[in-house]
Amino acid sequence: MSARRATLLQGTLDLLILKALSARALHGLGVSRRIEQITGGTFVVQPGSLFPALHRLEESGWLTATWQPSENNRRAKYYTLTKAGRRQLGEEAAQWNQIAIAIARALEA
Amino acid sequence: MGRLVNLWRNLVHSNRVDRDLHDELQAVFELLVDEKVRSGMSFDDARRASRLELGSQEFLKDKVRDARAGAGFDTLLQDIRYALRQFRRAPGFTAVAVATLALGIGANAAIFGVVKSVLLDALPYADSDRLVRVYGRSPEGVLFSMRAAIVQTVAARQRSFESLAAFDSVRDAVYGGEDFARVVRIAWVEPRFFKTLGVPAALGRTFDDDDRAKGHVPASGAEIGPDTARVVVLSHSAWQGLFAGDPAVLGREIRINGLPRAVIGVLPPGFVGPNGRADFYFAFDLVPALGTGAGWLGLVGRVRAGATQEAAQRDIAAISADLGRESGNVRAGVWATPLRDTMVGSARTPLLVLLASTAFVLLIACANLAGGLLSRSLSRRKEFAVRVALGAGRGRLVRQLLTESTMLALAGGAAGLLLAQSMLSLLRTVARPVLPAYAELSLDPAAVLVTAVIAICTGLAFGVVPALSVDRLDAQGALRDDARGASEALRPRQLRGVLVACQMALCASLLAGAGLLSRSLWEMAAAPLGFDPSGVLTARIRLPTREYPTLELRTRFHEQLAERLRHIRGVEAVAIANKAPTLDPRRDPFSMEGAAKDAAPVVYASVSDDYFRTLGIPIREGRTFDASDRAGAPPTAVISESMARRYWPAGRALGSRIRLAGDLVTIVGIVGDVRNDLARSDAEPMAYRTHRQESTQRVAILLRTRGDPLALVKPLQRELAALDRSLPLQEAMTLTAAVGEGLAARRLPVMLMTAFGVLALLLASVGVYGMFASMAAAREREFGVRMALGSPPFAIAGLMLQQGAGWMAAGLAGGVLCTMVIVRLLRNVLDGVPPFDPIALGMAVAIMLGCATVALLIPVLRATRVDPMVALRAE
Repeated sequence: MSARRATLLQGTLDLLILKALSARALHGLGVSRRIEQITGGTFVVQPGSLFPALHRLEESGWLTATWQPSENNRRAKYYTLTKAGRRQLGEEAAQWNQIAIAIARALEA
Repeated sequence: MGRLVNLWRNLVHSNRVDRDLHDELQAVFELLVDEKVRSGMSFDDARRASRLELGSQEFLKDKVRDARAGAGFDTLLQDIRYALRQFRRAPGFTAVAVATLALGIGANAAIFGVVKSVLLDALPYADSDRLVRVYGRSPEGVLFSMRAAIVQTVAARQRSFESLAAFDSVRDAVYGGEDFARVVRIAWVEPRFFKTLGVPAALGRTFDDDDRAKGHVPASGAEIGPDTARVVVLSHSAWQGLFAGDPAVLGREIRINGLPRAVIGVLPPGFVGPNGRADFYFAFDLVPALGTGAGWLGLVGRVRAGATQEAAQRDIAAISADLGRESGNVRAGVWATPLRDTMVGSARTPLLVLLASTAFVLLIACANLAGGLLSRSLSRRKEFAVRVALGAGRGRLVRQLLTESTMLALAGGAAGLLLAQSMLSLLRTVARPVLPAYAELSLDPAAVLVTAVIAICTGLAFGVVPALSVDRLDAQGALRDDARGASEALRPRQLRGVLVACQMALCASLLAGAGLLSRSLWEMAAAPLGFDPSGVLTARIRLPTREYPTLELRTRFHEQLAERLRHIRGVEAVAIANKAPTLDPRRDPFSMEGAAKDAAPVVYASVSDDYFRTLGIPIREGRTFDASDRAGAPPTAVISESMARRYWPAGRALGSRIRLAGDLVTIVGIVGDVRNDLARSDAEPMAYRTHRQESTQRVAILLRTRGDPLALVKPLQRELAALDRSLPLQEAMTLTAAVGEGLAARRLPVMLMTAFGVLALLLASVGVYGMFASMAAAREREFGVRMALGSPPFAIAGLMLQQGAGWMAAGLAGGVLCTMVIVRLLRNVLDGVPPFDPIALGMAVAIMLGCATVALLIPVLRATRVDPMVALRAE
C-alpha cells in the first residue's frame, strides 16, 4: 500500500535508485531488493516502474550498465553510479531534505 | 549530446538494443527463480511465482521502450506504417481524398495568388494610396486623355496635390543605327513624373526640370518643333536586355530615332508606369504644347500630406465645374480616381468571380473529403472495436487516426502546392494580356496556409470524431451490431445528405456562372465583325519623324510601298491605314459644322483608297476615297452606318460637314459597321479619312492574299527593305490571329470558370456516388432479405431513391439561391446575354442532374443485383 503511494511522489524513485547504487554496482533485481532493505520494507518497487527508470537514468548518463557474472555465476546486467550520477544523488538528496524539513515544519506549525 | 547518441542508438540499432533488453529481463527472471529456489520453493513453483512477480515480459519491454529516447518517434513510425497499410488496402478512397485535397488547395492557392498580386499588393510606388489619376470626362462618363491646356489649368488651380505630372502614352521608337535597328517602347513624361510616383533611380538619377526637351512634344503623333531631347532614363529590363546590366551605361551615348541621347539613370526593377511598360523615358515641357487641340495626356498626382484622396477628388470635381462654366462647354470636364482603380481596371470583376469559384470548389472538395472520411470511419467501427477489445486505449486510437488524417492532408497539400505552382506558371503566360502590367504572379504563403488549414481541419474533424464515439459504445456492442448487419445509422446518413445537398447547390451555381460567361463570349465571337479577316496579313511599321517629317513624304512612302506590294505574287489587294481594325482603336471627338461643342468621341482611322475593298467592308451610300481626295483638295470623310443613324435623320448624313481631327470635312460616303471593341457585341460609330489628307507615323499594312497569308511575310520584308532599309517590320500576323488576340482577354476568365465548373461537377458527382454507395453497402443484407422474400428489384431501387432524392432536391433548391448571388456578381461582365439566360441556366441544371443521375444509378443498379444468397451467407 505504502509502495503504491510512494511512487506517486515524482522523483522519489530516481533518488532511491541512485541511493541504492551508491554503495556498489547492482543488477535490476538487486536494486529492487536493496531499496526494500534500506527503506525498511516501506517501498517495494514494481518491475514495471523499476526497469523503465533504470533505462532512463542510464540514458541521462547517471548510470552505466555492464554485463557481469552474478554471485551465483549467471550473467546479469549490472548498473554502476557514474560521477554525474553521484553529483545528481547529492543534489537530489539535498533537495529532498529541504522539502522534508519544510513539510515537517509546516505540519508542526 | 548524450541524448542524441541514445536517440541514434535506439533508432538505428533498435534490434541490438531490444536483444539487450530481452537478455537483461531474462537474466533477472532467472535470478529471481534462483532466489526463490534458495528460499525453499520447488523449481516449478519458483518459476510460476517469478513470472507473476515480474509480469508479462512484453509489457515490461514496452514500458522500457516508452521510457527511452525517441519513444514517441517509434510509435509514430508504427502508426505511419499502419496508416500506409490502410491506404494500400483502400486505394480508391486514398486517391480520391488526396486528389480532392490537391485540387481544392491547388486551385485556391493559385487564384488567390493572382488576386493578391492584383488587388491586394501595393502598386510599385512609394505610398501608393496617396496617388490619384486625373482624366478628361464627358457628361456621359466617357473618360479620355487630357489636352495640355487643361492639364496646365488643373495644375494651377488645385489645392490638394503636392505634385502633379503629365505623361504621354507609350509609343514605338527605333533604337540603334543603320546596321542595328530595333523597335523599343518610349514614353514622354514631365520631369516630375518619377518624383510624383515616389520612384528613385536605381542607378544615376531621374529627370529634373533642366532635362526637358525644349520645343519637342509628341502630341498625338504630330511633333511640334524639332526633337531636342538629349537625355533618357532607362528601365531596368531595357538596361539588362540592351546593355547587359553594365553600370558604365550612365553617360553613354545611344541613338534613338536617329538622334544621340545620353543615359542619365536606370529605374528600379519591376517599375511600370500608369501608362504601361516602356524601355526609355524622355522628359518634355508642357508649355510649347499648350496650343495642341486634341487630348493626348494622362495625369497623375500625389495628394499632399494631410489631405485625403476624397478631398482631392472633390477638389478636381470643383475645378471641373468651374471649367465647364467658364468655357460654356460641358465636355471640358475632368475627373479624378485613385490610381489603383485605374491600374486594376477591368480585371477586378473576373478576378472576384474566379475567387468565389475557387472558394466554392474548396467547399465542395471539403464536403467530399468529409463524406468519404465519415463513411470510412463508420465502416471501420468493427476494426476499432476489435482494437479496443484487445486493450488499445482511446488516446492510442485517436492518435492513429490523427496520423492517418495528417498523412492524407500532407500528401494532398504537397500535391496541391505542385498544382498551384504549375497553374501559376500557366497563368503567367496565358493571363498576361488580362492582368494589369504591375502584377507579379506568385504563390502567397498565407493563402496556402489558410487553405491547407481549412482542408486539414475538415479531415481531422470528420476522421477523428467518429473514432471518439467508438469507446463510448461498448466494444462488444459494436462487434455484435456489425455482425448482425444493421442499416446505416440515421445521424451520419443525415450528415452525408446535407453535405451532398451543399455540394450540388455550389456546383449548380458554378455551372450556371460558367454557362452565362460562355454564352456571353459566344455572342461576342459570333456577332458579325463587319469585315472579312480571313486570308488577310497584317503588319506594322513606324515612320520616324526625322526622315518623314511631312504629310507629303509619308503619303508618298505609303503609295510607293503599296505599289511594290501589289506586285507580290499571291497578293490580291493592298491597304495602308494607321491601324488594323479591332486593334487598339483610337477615338477622336467630332462635332457638327457650326455647333459650338463637341459631340461624343468616335472611333477614327485614316486609310488608303483600297482599304474597304481589301477588308470587304460594304459601301452603303455615296463613294469611298479615290484619287480626287488628294492633299489640298476639299477634305472628305467616310462614316459608318451606325454613326449616320445616330447623329443624322435618315438620308441626311451624306454631304453634311463635320469637324474631325482638326479639319472641317465633308461626308462623301457611308460604309458598313465594323466592330472595333470585340468585348461589345454592337458596333461603335466610326469615321474614316484618307491617308492623303491626314496620316500618322503609325502604318498598318493589310494584304488580302490567296493561300497562306504568312507565306508572304518574307516577300513583304524584302519589299520594305528595298524601299527603306532602316524600318523594322513589326507584328506580322494574320488578321484572324490579331482579332483573336483581342478576344483573349475575354476568353480567359470564361475558360477558367468553365474549368472550375467541370471540376466542381466531377467532385460533386463523386460525392453523390459516395453517398448512395455507402447507403447501398450498409443495407446490402437488408436488400438481400427483401429480395429473398420476393421484393422486385425496382422496389429496392425505389427505396434507395426515396432515401437520396430528397437531398438532391434540396441541393437544387440551394443551387437556385447561390446562382442568384453569382448572377449578381457577373451582371457587369455579361454582354449580349440576359442575366437569367434560360439556355445557360437550363444547361447547367441539366448537366448537373445528368451527372448526379449517373453517379447514383451505379450504386442503385448494384443494389438491385444483390444476390440474396450471397448477401445472407456473408454473415
